[in-house]
Amino acid sequence: MSAIVATGVQKTYGTGTDAVVAVRGVDLDVAAGEVFGFLGPNGAGKSTTVRMLTTLMTLTAGTAKVAGVDVAADPHGARRKIGVALQEAGLDSRQTGRELLTLQSRLFGMTKPAAAARADELLTLVELDDAADRRVKGYSGGMKRRLDLASALVHRPEVLFLDEPTTGLDPASRLTVWEEVRRINRLGTTVFLTTQYLEEADQLCDRLAIIDEGRVVLEGTPTSLKQDLQARKGLAAEPTLDDVFLEATGRTRERSAGDVKEI
Amino acid sequence: MTTTTTTTTTLVTPSDTIAPASSNVMRDSLLLGGRAVREALRTPDSLFPTIFIPLFFLVVNVGQASRIFPSGNTPFLRGQNYGAFQLPASLLLSASFGAAALYLVEEIEGGYFDKLRATPIARMSLVLGRLYAEFLKTLAVGAAMVGLAYLFGIRVKSGIAGFLVLLVLVALWAMVFSGFMQLVALRSRSAAATQGASMVFFPLLFLTPNFVPRGQLSRPMEIAATANPVTYVMEAARSLILEGFNGTALLRGFAVVAVAMALMLALSVRMVSHYD
Repeated sequence: MSAIVATGVQKTYGTGTDAVVAVRGVDLDVAAGEVFGFLGPNGAGKSTTVRMLTTLMTLTAGTAKVAGVDVAADPHGARRKIGVALQEAGLDSRQTGRELLTLQSRLFGMTKPAAAARADELLTLVELDDAADRRVKGYSGGMKRRLDLASALVHRPEVLFLDEPTTGLDPASRLTVWEEVRRINRLGTTVFLTTQYLEEADQLCDRLAIIDEGRVVLEGTPTSLKQDLQARKGLAAEPTLDDVFLEATGRTRERSAGDVKEI
Repeated sequence: MTTTTTTTTTLVTPSDTIAPASSNVMRDSLLLGGRAVREALRTPDSLFPTIFIPLFFLVVNVGQASRIFPSGNTPFLRGQNYGAFQLPASLLLSASFGAAALYLVEEIEGGYFDKLRATPIARMSLVLGRLYAEFLKTLAVGAAMVGLAYLFGIRVKSGIAGFLVLLVLVALWAMVFSGFMQLVALRSRSAAATQGASMVFFPLLFLTPNFVPRGQLSRPMEIAATANPVTYVMEAARSLILEGFNGTALLRGFAVVAVAMALMLALSVRMVSHYD
């Protein structure tokens, strides 16, 4: 069963001569229970795709269903089934961690006692019990990221979208977030993850897609992608995911070389 | 990594803890309003301009003009001092110092607004939540200002009921003003642009019968004040302080608030619904 199905999804900003095409027809099929990685260079269209799949942005063309719900036709229904943690940890710095999670739970329709219980449960899950009654502005980057993750889980979503969840975190915090993602996935939640860290994708993802200039250029399991590159290039040693990524978006290096030449 | 077989049941939402799927504008607005009230209480310094600047104008204006308009010889004061005539202008000035729009820009920039947009709440409650807090804040500040004015001999002629109506009128106007500022914030997503826009709306407060009744303004100013909707809100507030319950003035004042509120809400909901 598919958790995410996107067909010909496009996004164009502006109109006429000012139009900028950010996503040029993305097709995706993510199975329920997977951790799916969505990789790409800066400006490739990763975040725009996530924003469309999470109802935060309209689709210019194409269709997308998340947890069986059409995000354009029934955004409200889709919001009940998805959890979202975007690139910047979207938190209200003047509230405490507990207040933030309780409010988030209540916005998903929980009663006051249920919301309080769920907040407690999640604070324990992300190991923020001790900081629960401190205001968020005093949290470290890693704590904010974990709280953001917890706030995306209040309603037990079927599909969790994580947009670059470890960007800017120190290695220890990054490992903690990885553990959380694994734990959430073990509980049955499908995870759609964008990242610029290929090691992260290698560690976490069952399958991944690489997007470049608004198009999916490669898709498969980390192992199959590496083996495929090894076979195609006749390499003696198994390549890394970095090699796969650079080969798929190879013009990045060529362009860099071009820039040097121009200088 | 992917072991779905054993614990998939944890994803089932317990029916006793989750409300039915329909969103509830009032409930969601009150929840978000409660958060905004907490936020206001935790940033008391943001109340400083709301209280200090209107009181400053009240003191300065009364100090400058009270000898020109002595209470005994000035019919439009109806026996009160000039401060009673100026008080509505200060209340409306206070109502235009809401910080809701700037907090909204902060949330947009920080990503929390998207977090809220990703929840299944009514889009209108994203707008109404902060306005609800502005309403409560203006009620409290307005009551404090009228209480302070009382110490200087200013009385609300319409009594306790009129005092309450006065507070509600001013607080509703604060919602309207903050709502329009929120519109600018949603459109521009910029603190500078939002603050700039408040400067555009600000002069409307002074194109009113601010110092003397409308009939005593110069002809061009009278035309400008008559065309300015804020005039009718000010005259309604003033009537409660100086005259008692003047049905016509109150009707006009509340009609202006109702029309402006409906326009602001319609535009805001459209803006939030099409927000990309």
